[in-house]
Amino acid sequence: MERIYNGIVKENPVFIMMLGMCPALAVTTSVTNALGMGACTIAVLVISNIVISLVRNIIPDEVRLPAFIVIVASFVTIVELVMKAYFVELNASLGVYIPLIVVNCIILGRAEAYASKNAPLLSAMDGIGMGLGFTVGIVAIAFFRELFGNGTVCGFQVMPSFYPPVSLLVKAPGAFLVLGFIVMAMNAMNIKTQANKKVEEGCDGGCAACGVADTCDKKEAKA
Amino acid sequence: MSGQTSLIMIIIGAALVNNVVLSQFLGICSFLGVSSQIKNSAGLGGAVIFVITIASAVANLLYTFVLDPLGLDYLQTIVFIIVIAALVQVVEMFLKKTMPALYTALGIYLPLITTNCAVLGVALNNVSDGYNFIQSVVSGFGTGVGYTIAIVLLAGIRESLEGNDIPKPVKGAPLVLFCATLMGMAFYGFSTLG
Amino acid sequence: MSTETSTFKHVSSSPHLRNPLTTGGVMMNVVIGLVPVTVFGIWHFGLHAALVIIASIASAMLTEYLFDLIAKRPNTLWDGSAVVTGLLLALCLPSQCPLYVPILGSAFGILVAKCFFGGLGQNFMNPALAGRAFLLISFGKVMTDYSYDAVSSVTPLASLNSGEAVDLGKMFIGLATGHIGISILCIVIGGIWLLVTDTISWEIPVASTISFVIFLIAMSGRGFDPYYLAAQLCGGGFALGAFFMATDPVTKPMTWSGQLIFGCLYGFLSAVFRTQGSMADTTTFAIIIANLATPLIDRMPVPQPFGVGKKGSSVIPSVEALNAPKRKSMIPKSAIILMAITLVAGGGLACVNMMTADTIAENERQAALAAYETVLPGMEITSDDALTAQVEQFAETGYGDGAFGRVYINEAVVGKDSSGNASGYAISVSSMEGYDGEIAMSVGILPDGTVTGISFTTITETAGMGMLANEDSWKAQFKDKNVEAFKLNKAGGSTTDEEIDSVSGASITSGAVVNAVNAALDFFHNYVVTG
Repeated sequence: MERIYNGIVKENPVFIMMLGMCPALAVTTSVTNALGMGACTIAVLVISNIVISLVRNIIPDEVRLPAFIVIVASFVTIVELVMKAYFVELNASLGVYIPLIVVNCIILGRAEAYASKNAPLLSAMDGIGMGLGFTVGIVAIAFFRELFGNGTVCGFQVMPSFYPPVSLLVKAPGAFLVLGFIVMAMNAMNIKTQANKKVEEGCDGGCAACGVADTCDKKEAKA
Repeated sequence: MSGQTSLIMIIIGAALVNNVVLSQFLGICSFLGVSSQIKNSAGLGGAVIFVITIASAVANLLYTFVLDPLGLDYLQTIVFIIVIAALVQVVEMFLKKTMPALYTALGIYLPLITTNCAVLGVALNNVSDGYNFIQSVVSGFGTGVGYTIAIVLLAGIRESLEGNDIPKPVKGAPLVLFCATLMGMAFYGFSTLG
Repeated sequence: MSTETSTFKHVSSSPHLRNPLTTGGVMMNVVIGLVPVTVFGIWHFGLHAALVIIASIASAMLTEYLFDLIAKRPNTLWDGSAVVTGLLLALCLPSQCPLYVPILGSAFGILVAKCFFGGLGQNFMNPALAGRAFLLISFGKVMTDYSYDAVSSVTPLASLNSGEAVDLGKMFIGLATGHIGISILCIVIGGIWLLVTDTISWEIPVASTISFVIFLIAMSGRGFDPYYLAAQLCGGGFALGAFFMATDPVTKPMTWSGQLIFGCLYGFLSAVFRTQGSMADTTTFAIIIANLATPLIDRMPVPQPFGVGKKGSSVIPSVEALNAPKRKSMIPKSAIILMAITLVAGGGLACVNMMTADTIAENERQAALAAYETVLPGMEITSDDALTAQVEQFAETGYGDGAFGRVYINEAVVGKDSSGNASGYAISVSSMEGYDGEIAMSVGILPDGTVTGISFTTITETAGMGMLANEDSWKAQFKDKNVEAFKLNKAGGSTTDEEIDSVSGASITSGAVVNAVNAALDFFHNYVVTG
């Protein structure tokens, strides 16, 4: 459906919209972690989109941001508990990142931009699309970091044994480096992204997650 | 090193060794977005230090005296988030009434901090590291200082890059990301301290 | 942009060279200044050192050439800066390192630290050192292997730190183990050449040396010890850095006072890293950290009038907008609805918690049991009331009063053999001082005090670093050892039973684990054996 295509390609949260960067950089040390984080994010995103869409007419405008945050935080905790109970190993590796899904700008951004204005089914689709787009994005980053930084993909040795793993890539600065190269490549191919706007002006039109939206003169109407 | 985790070590750890932005990737959105000018960055940094320190204190108190004894650990994420949002509100209103000059200078950055992952991240980390009250406050303060150092350094670099003949594909976001890469590499030098 | 006779193609904010020579001329002087130390290095370390130098320079030049080609920019190889970068990097490398090291290092330094920022004169970080940092972080082991011609890899600085004597004379001349640019004598000669030809000015070398010495006296714990200070000055890359790298005209502050501050910063950081850290190379990081501060140092003397921002002051809206009535006046109705939502959410969470709590507890029980069975194979795990009571004592406050950092003894169980006799003990202990939070493990101990091994129940350290502690090969260091307490060996190469090699690059994780095991041993000796 159109929503899914939108989320994965046209408005990909990682590369085009530059949202959700904190987890994007942190969990991309291995493809397995990225897949796990992506799956959790899809789950939370879909559920929260549906719920917010269902209650969108009840939430008064002034308190919508705190309300969204509470709803999202609850679902994240639910996901956390479910993982601790039934997916123990995955929980061990994704530990501190799960609670951080709460402030993942993607969730709040979609809640504000879409779910609060559209029907539940469409919102769910949007959640799936954005979640998949996010997953594709972080898996791509993780792929390069793990392959060149560790010689493996998903834990399987792929590079020949004489290849010296460039450990920088799996450490913190490497995340910035890989993302920088990817965005640079996109710039070179003239793929328009919000990335440059975001760093130049501090504003990418993602008004939901921005605290100064009400007084901002740059506010654009979002579809 | 065995021995007490001294407060100095906590601050240095939080600010430099485990820098919140360059090592833990918390607070990236504002780090990349608001770092184009030194003045803005210093202002945001100051506000962040303020909020994180107080939030760490309040979160720790809440956890120690309410959540933990009642076995409500699983509510910590929600509770902390609400605390942070409320705190930012309160701080905003307080500053507006009592120190309007400071509010005008800083105030606009405060709402941005609510969604800054660094604040929530620190509060949660304090719990998982088992810090007591003083340690939590100090750790929060150190984190804020680290954030400020990182963002002000980046702003200094970005300002000095104006007028540079940057290759076209690198202009904009990639340039800032490469700055962050080099900064992260430099900070790596702190990783063996203590 | 046309190339005029002036040294720069456009006016940028980066420092301008102050002498009438062209950029090429300056670079030539630097290369001449480096000739003595280069020649000595090749003579002392052999042919491979020459290969490293050539590979580094070639890679630097090739990278810059290719970049200029692909980015359609005028070729800048003529200014010789790529040669200098390549040469400087090579001089910092171990003489026998595999050739991919200089090749990749130079390429990274030139490409990321220089070309991406616009090329010569526009980078903020010294490219040679950026390359070196890249190599240190990426190829740690190879970068610290200074062995050559069957001479050991122990550098004089390492010997100094472990308390052995070093030959100052040899260190000064350069007849020692270390990186290619090792001859302090030659470096000083080159440095004097640079000063005489006005290629560099005295502020940075002098300020950094004085500051280095002062802070060493303050922090090393040895007070004013001329022998130690001289050894520190002659060891490692400090001298090379002070004359050739910190003085890089592009990345140092513009004013002489700024340069003094920069020099002091370099000296201070070097002293801190040398005395408080355990990193192999302190010069690289000290200088690149100082590079980060250069733009700020340059701006320090010029106070900016408040309110004067640059065009497009991003987030600051106009004063009118600020004074306009703002949102977030909590109308009661909204507040009530928000409360309601919060209560529903809280209620939902409570439900889920009730449903999952038992399963979670069961999972944790299973994990703990599995850990016990790993360290006490073949034994039946039972609990002992007296032992459990002992553990309870320390539940609130932790164990050891800080002697082992913040550790908690979680549980102690007894392993019984087939005839029901106690044939081993397993102690579950947590250290809160892991890099990423709590590390919990089970330590198995035989009645005679031999440690059977460790098994982690909670470990969420950094993948590829701290998590390597979970590798069987690392854990095996504790296996079948009977010692009073273990000692962490950060440098590696442990020989005795009680020494545990730190996981490379993860000394915090390793230290936390060693402390936890020692706490378990201490508990065992004091509270279990008597039982």
